[in-house]
Amino acid sequence: MGLEKNTGKTECFNYVMQRLPLAEKRVAVSSIGIDGETTDQVTRTAKPEIFLREGVYFGTSEKHYLTKRLSAELLEITNENTSLGNIVIGKSLTPGKILLSGPSSTNGLRRWMDDMKKYNIDLTIIDGALSRMSLASPAVSESMILATGAAYSANINTLVQKTAFVVQMINLELTSQENRHLFNDVTIGVWAVDEDDSLHDLKVASSLSVNINTDGIKKCRTLYVSGALTDGFVNHVRQNKIFNETEIVVRDFTKIFLTPMTYNTFVNGRRKITVLQKSKLIAVCVNPTSPNGIVLDSEKLCNTLSEAIKLPVYDLKRN
Amino acid sequence: MQLRKLIDSPCGLRFMIDNLCTHSGYSRKLLLESSMMHDRLSIEKSYEVMRKFYHVVDNEDNKNKIQTLQFKLCKLKDINHTLSRLATSVILDDIELFEVKNLALLSADVKLILEELNLNEIIVITSLEDVVKILDPDGLRIATFYIYDSYSERLASLRKKLKSKDFYQETIYNEVAALEDEIRNELSKRLKPYSDSMIVAMNALADVDLNLAKSLQMKEMGLCFPTLSSEDKSSYKGIFHPEVKNILEKENKEYQKVDIDFGLKPLIIMGANMGGKTIVLKTLALCQYLLQFGFGVPADSAEMMIYDEVFCLTTDDQSINKGLSSFAAEMKNIDAVIKSSDCVLALIDEPARTTNPTEGTALVSALVKMLQDRAMSLIIVTHYNIKTYNNKCLRVKGLIDGKMNYELVETHEGEVPHEALNIAESLGIDSRWIELAKKEMEEGR
Repeated sequence: MGLEKNTGKTECFNYVMQRLPLAEKRVAVSSIGIDGETTDQVTRTAKPEIFLREGVYFGTSEKHYLTKRLSAELLEITNENTSLGNIVIGKSLTPGKILLSGPSSTNGLRRWMDDMKKYNIDLTIIDGALSRMSLASPAVSESMILATGAAYSANINTLVQKTAFVVQMINLELTSQENRHLFNDVTIGVWAVDEDDSLHDLKVASSLSVNINTDGIKKCRTLYVSGALTDGFVNHVRQNKIFNETEIVVRDFTKIFLTPMTYNTFVNGRRKITVLQKSKLIAVCVNPTSPNGIVLDSEKLCNTLSEAIKLPVYDLKRN
Repeated sequence: MQLRKLIDSPCGLRFMIDNLCTHSGYSRKLLLESSMMHDRLSIEKSYEVMRKFYHVVDNEDNKNKIQTLQFKLCKLKDINHTLSRLATSVILDDIELFEVKNLALLSADVKLILEELNLNEIIVITSLEDVVKILDPDGLRIATFYIYDSYSERLASLRKKLKSKDFYQETIYNEVAALEDEIRNELSKRLKPYSDSMIVAMNALADVDLNLAKSLQMKEMGLCFPTLSSEDKSSYKGIFHPEVKNILEKENKEYQKVDIDFGLKPLIIMGANMGGKTIVLKTLALCQYLLQFGFGVPADSAEMMIYDEVFCLTTDDQSINKGLSSFAAEMKNIDAVIKSSDCVLALIDEPARTTNPTEGTALVSALVKMLQDRAMSLIIVTHYNIKTYNNKCLRVKGLIDGKMNYELVETHEGEVPHEALNIAESLGIDSRWIELAKKEMEEGR
């Protein structure tokens, strides 16, 4: 998943693909939307192409299947539609290059992944696309690699801060077993659990509206927000005394739309935000160059970021 | 008339089509594009095929085979576009070759199952073994495709070279691509002569799917095979409307089936409100369409005539209000019946209901008089006390001990039942209103 276009997702994708033990694992790849173009559709900068080794299963649109630069066995034409034709499933017979254009929605991608089960795939790698953060949701993927870089912000400090905040959100603590059990199948509304463990529907249509009905609640212990968590809602909750010691639970980090300031003001020793599902962040990659010509100091960037997020940070081009 | 154009007829044809469990989108497309049958021979022939399928479906021992067949038919795709391209000597790409190969393998699979079910002579699937041989040079019979190594030794050796390195080798791949193109060209040429037989096979597969789906629907809904009457007479025993029956069953209510006979003379149905008269009309229209599209008919038994056209003018026809007053729209619709050729089934629900009873009665009586000598089946539902010119009249039995009996019984001119007030009463309508109306009635006498 990339935080911005041109943060080096494809480069990272190829890097991982190149090193997978294909003899032992069956690997399937796809992307959300179009990926692997030779030049960027928006900024016209050179882009790496997706390179597949022999024996990789892949999903791409009919159009891109026909322009592939490798020999492949066509296994199936699925019913999943995209603007470039149905998604087809193939298996590479020789190494070569291909454009990947997978299902264009999270649900479509999930269906595709379910469909791939019949080929006994051990590992599926999805090339995420711009602003398709929801795809990284644990509902779809088990773990993720985050790509960030100069295209996201040209100032090292800002870039580190912004990236670190995203990492902080991805690493939010999992809520208690009990809460997970309670809220897992709840997909609508905002719910509160008070001191006596009784459940209240706050009758909030979405967290964009701040009219919450707190009748009968003296002190709220847990607040479950099924949809998006926004600044307005969190600030409103913060100002209401009954939420002084509340844990806000959201489905996963992709539902959080908070600025660092709101988050930091809300979370103190007594209040916290937790998630029902958590994805595992494996690594962070950086691309110090941006399409408008800015080149950041790669070593400094890696070190500062690594220090801030306590995770390994790689600049794949440099290493 | 295509089924696509009739499907939203107010008689409830859509319910039947939507509940038809076809396994391929292509079969459904063919069904919707099919035209209403008008000749005895094709209708009889279509039921003959379906009887064989029904017989197979009705046998519990065939359950597994039927399921396998259904599973296979899911893979039937509409590849008319590819096949027409093939016929015009276009070079097919990998995806198209894959589609062709899948069709060829599928028809072989289905053919085999039909043989096991003894249906292979009922619907004959053209053998596409030659196509399979062209696209499956290694004889693997797997439904996947690529330009196989065995098509060319040169290709095999080039691919070996590509595989030996773990990076992209542009020049070698270019040669491979050129070679693959040549082979595709060759394959397309060899496949071209089979394009017609592939279309025939594809349509035969869709035919299997449709017959299977129709037979299963018959079994599930309790439909019957109609017989074509040899005289000008239609006769139904235990007719029912599947959609209404379905709704009632969901509410744990029972649907009362009715019997009805008619010929080429006008038939007038009178009777209480809420007596199911409109449903009878709709069911008759539905049955007629189902017969002429080769479906099972919702009745215990049905002996039916064939018509050129069916008019089903019911009070809830949405098209009635398109920019015209309800009276004008209705008059125009009935006018179309009068101007139609003979050999139509005209079902008219409460004609002239929106005008005053004096003129309304005159209009309906005149309609009966004018159409009684035409060779059409006219069925009219009315509340007016019309002149029937000795034509057959039926009425709904009506409320008996507070319970509605929907049975149709013969009645005579001038015996229009007066049950509206009783029925309104049983609905729990404000009693002051009903009492006043009763008084009005008495004063009027």
